[in-house]
Amino acid sequence: MDFTLQNKKDKHDMLKAIGIKNIKELFDLVIQKILKIKKINISGGKTEQELLNYFSNIALTNKVLTSFRGAGIYDHFIPSLVGEIIGRSEFWTSYTPYQAEASQGTLQAIFEYQSLICALTGMDTANASLYDGATAVTEAILLAIRVNKKNKILISSALHPEYIQTIKTYFENYSIKIIFLPISKKKGNIEKSIIDMFVDDDTIAVIIQSPNYFGVIEDMKTLSFATKLKNKKSMFIAVVNPISLAIFQSPSEYDADIAVGEGQSLGITMSVGGNTCGFMTVKKTLEWKMPGRIVGQSIDKNNQRGFVLTLQSREQHIKGGKATSNICTNSSLNALAGCVFLSGWGGDIEFKNLAKINVSKARYAFEKIKTLNGFKSKFHDNFFLMNS
Amino acid sequence: MEKLLNELSSKCNSAYKLNCDTETDIEIPENLKRKSDLGLPNISEIDLLRHFTNLSRKNYSLSTCFYPLGSCTMKHNPLINERIAKNRAFNLIHPYQPTETMQGILKIIYNLERDLCEISGMNCFSLQQAAGAHGEFTGLLVIAKYFKSIGQKRIHIIVPDSAHGTNSASAVMAGFNVIPLKSNPDGSISILKLKKILTPDVAGIMLTVPNTLGVFEKNILEISKIVHKNGSLLYYDGANLNAIMGIVKPGDMGFDVMHINLHKTFSAPHGGGGPGSGPVGVKTFLEPFLPVPRIKKKKSKFVLDYEKHNSIGRVKAFFGNFPIILKAYVYIKSLGAKGLKNASEQAVLNANYMLSKFKNKITVPAGDKCMHEFVLSLKSLLKNNIKTVDIAKRLLDYGYYSPTIYFPLIVEEAVMIEPTETESKKTLDLFINIFNNILFEEMSKKPHKIKEAPVNTPLKRLNEIEAARKPVLKW
Repeated sequence: MDFTLQNKKDKHDMLKAIGIKNIKELFDLVIQKILKIKKINISGGKTEQELLNYFSNIALTNKVLTSFRGAGIYDHFIPSLVGEIIGRSEFWTSYTPYQAEASQGTLQAIFEYQSLICALTGMDTANASLYDGATAVTEAILLAIRVNKKNKILISSALHPEYIQTIKTYFENYSIKIIFLPISKKKGNIEKSIIDMFVDDDTIAVIIQSPNYFGVIEDMKTLSFATKLKNKKSMFIAVVNPISLAIFQSPSEYDADIAVGEGQSLGITMSVGGNTCGFMTVKKTLEWKMPGRIVGQSIDKNNQRGFVLTLQSREQHIKGGKATSNICTNSSLNALAGCVFLSGWGGDIEFKNLAKINVSKARYAFEKIKTLNGFKSKFHDNFFLMNS
Repeated sequence: MEKLLNELSSKCNSAYKLNCDTETDIEIPENLKRKSDLGLPNISEIDLLRHFTNLSRKNYSLSTCFYPLGSCTMKHNPLINERIAKNRAFNLIHPYQPTETMQGILKIIYNLERDLCEISGMNCFSLQQAAGAHGEFTGLLVIAKYFKSIGQKRIHIIVPDSAHGTNSASAVMAGFNVIPLKSNPDGSISILKLKKILTPDVAGIMLTVPNTLGVFEKNILEISKIVHKNGSLLYYDGANLNAIMGIVKPGDMGFDVMHINLHKTFSAPHGGGGPGSGPVGVKTFLEPFLPVPRIKKKKSKFVLDYEKHNSIGRVKAFFGNFPIILKAYVYIKSLGAKGLKNASEQAVLNANYMLSKFKNKITVPAGDKCMHEFVLSLKSLLKNNIKTVDIAKRLLDYGYYSPTIYFPLIVEEAVMIEPTETESKKTLDLFINIFNNILFEEMSKKPHKIKEAPVNTPLKRLNEIEAARKPVLKW
């Protein structure tokens, strides 16, 4: 089954217009004979019905489990409306909104997404999304390096291990020192004394995740202020869970320069961790240094409010090798899901309750599991748990 | 004008409700507590449904119109792909489930890797990359690691001036220095110029074949020979793979590394700009450097292999954008070998047919035949103070998305058109007529119609300059 539409007569007429006898000629003109392949060995040619059966059978070899695995991907409830909206073909079959007048739906939705992500983090500016949480942290570090030309990055060792692996990959060819800050063996967090010990004049940025990989809430304010006290130019990069921000300190409250994270919790299916949305927010002064697309408000010729892609001279399609990043495709449709998700809970109070339910359930499970034979808590002092 | 979400907010019955079976009266230590308001909107389900439905109607999309958009292969996204991707046994799977409980997922990734190898002539693929540019970056890191492993210091990547902007941006991100290569007027590579810049410290060259002017690189075997003789590697930008499926393989041309955009060639949707997927393929000698984990078949079970000591590591969390991978695989199983070849042939036929209707009237810098896309230069036609961007906006009035304009950079007043194989002759004929009408009737007789365009869109021409000068980036 393919999706081409020309019938015999169409083809005949088209070949005639081109002035050739068959399609082969178009390739023969330019492709050396030695390169042309006889045939490829790919099974297929299935009808829609056959495909449904074939893939349903493959799906049967997956098992849908009740998942408490956490680790950055969560099985949160997704309201019906989210699927309905991102299922609208006007959204999912549209292109990157370069032609603003033909893309107001996507552009306004991204503008709303940026506004909502700023509401959660308290930060000044958000971009239109990145690939995922891991690449968002990595891009945050790249941003910090562009601004702060020193040579040392300090990263919490309780940052998601796959984020750490991603960072290591990205910076393999950079002459920048990456130092992993040890966590307290008792409490599972980063202590202020560690910041005091490690931050120095060469520090570009300190990267702390909260809740960290172990589900422990960090005292971000203390850590951020300690960082600035040691070196006021050093940046504080917060890696945050968006739902936790309803009840725990927001990055703006502790003067983070950049706040990033994984947006999968906001109405996006788990899909083996491969259908996510990285978010990035910054202080106003860093706006022009941000990677990726940004939507801005503008007006049309008749003074009507509208939206456009903006600050584009940061981007690869304008700047090539001098761009702030190579990113082009991002996670637009998933950002839309986040936008729909965040708008219907009933405002701050109910959204805070949603966050509290998450804490409450995580603690309940923790307390119960702790009592089971063979299980004990990894950390022993008082610590505060969200989800992990 | 559609209101913003914050303007829609009211004290209404909210769209979603929390279950009240859980304790929410939890104590949060004062020093960790959020003090500031969030200011999230409260909107009912019906109002949210209307808001986003109304917004969706302000979008042009493949489900509403033809996208003659070059370089992006906006082909039809078959609905069966979406239906299969909605199966809960695909989207309710956690990445850290035991591999025995996600054999179906691993099988699809594994099988797609095999099929992409067969289509491209590469020996293995990594499917972890989230987009084309992410694939480029990964491929370049693989190249860097390879040279490191054999103890060679090679710091340059050659990028033709007709290439996509991502090429040089990715090379810089991967730590390389970019040497631009001036292309011939048809975007092809000048062997003489290439030889001049091919020094012993060049790691590789990034090529798009067919190139961004829609021309197949006739001398590709010679280029490949020269580059390899210098000890450098060839990178294939797969953005234009839709022209050559089942006809010729990048691997046979001599490419060592490549990426494919599953959301272009393999019909996964663009989603208004993502998520996408950019698998990276390599020849066997580069396999040790691919990202981890690799998916292996042990007896009849699929397993994750992290034991790759020379791997560049991972480039994102988990295994790649699985829903996009799945949609691409469904597409390949629906077309099969015959359908894939037919798709490329029809894509090339459609492009040449359109070109045949323009070539006698409009400058074509790359000759009168093309592969799956072609580039026109409007420079000699523009008059009455009309710019290429005005022509693009006027097309919106007729219900078409705009072609790619001002790219590639080596063509003045460029208009790049890629019809894809999934458009009918009738659709192409209508577009051809309207495009000719704008250029040859309206431009002289009613230039104001073009200057004022668009008028049939939800909003008139938007002011992009002001938006960048005084950025308003949230409500």
